[in-house]
Amino acid sequence: MNTQFESLGRVTFVTPSGRLDFGAAPLFQSELEKALAKTPAGMVIDCAGLDYVSSAGLRVFLLVSRSAARCGIALVICSLKPAVREVFDVSGFSQIIAVCADRAAALEKMPA
Amino acid sequence: MSERHTAVPGDAAQLPALLRFLQDFWREFKLTPAEALAFELALEEVFMNVVMHGSRADRAPGVKVSMTVVDGGVMLTVEDDGPAFDPLSLPAPDLTASLEARRVGGLGVFLVRQVMDSVRYERRDTTNRLQMTKKMGGLSPAPK
Repeated sequence: MNTQFESLGRVTFVTPSGRLDFGAAPLFQSELEKALAKTPAGMVIDCAGLDYVSSAGLRVFLLVSRSAARCGIALVICSLKPAVREVFDVSGFSQIIAVCADRAAALEKMPA
Repeated sequence: MSERHTAVPGDAAQLPALLRFLQDFWREFKLTPAEALAFELALEEVFMNVVMHGSRADRAPGVKVSMTVVDGGVMLTVEDDGPAFDPLSLPAPDLTASLEARRVGGLGVFLVRQVMDSVRYERRDTTNRLQMTKKMGGLSPAPK
């Protein structure tokens, strides 16, 4: 798995690709926490290239969403592939984390 | 013979080897690639559970994984010789808890139950045995 970070205005775009499994989760989490610390207003995690997520990956999304909420940063996840979306849905994560269909919908949730 | 098996120590570093075993099985039996994901998830969750709960102070448990093409589906069996532990006895996570209150653990086994059609636990002598089955769209049931 690898992850790209891009800052555009006050929003950080994160693009993970590959498999977010037990082995990949710790690095992904520390990269996200670092990026969050430098993010002024909002973060969009675009998962179009994410093929697989296990409970270890869900855990990262949960912890990072919590950190973002505590820092007052808007965090939105978008463009989940169907198999990944299913894991988000059955675990109830789609209810507690903002999940959007695509990048355009995610941007609408970002602070102006 | 439509059964393949492998054995590894219950060590997290073995996860990539188990994934390769699963993917080789998938190719050999020409199964639909998209349907592998549910089994990859089940294998990771169950194996990591054994790694985290099945280790005694002095040694990692031995883990045996087998995959079988069964009538209209695939069966995944994970056995380990760690202490008796029924993962199906774990309470289901509270799916309605808020972002702050949501517990971080306890999701793995729940996900396995969601993506598989049946999950069965058995303690046999010194072995924990978890057997999971899922029907597959691409496989027709054997003729009666």
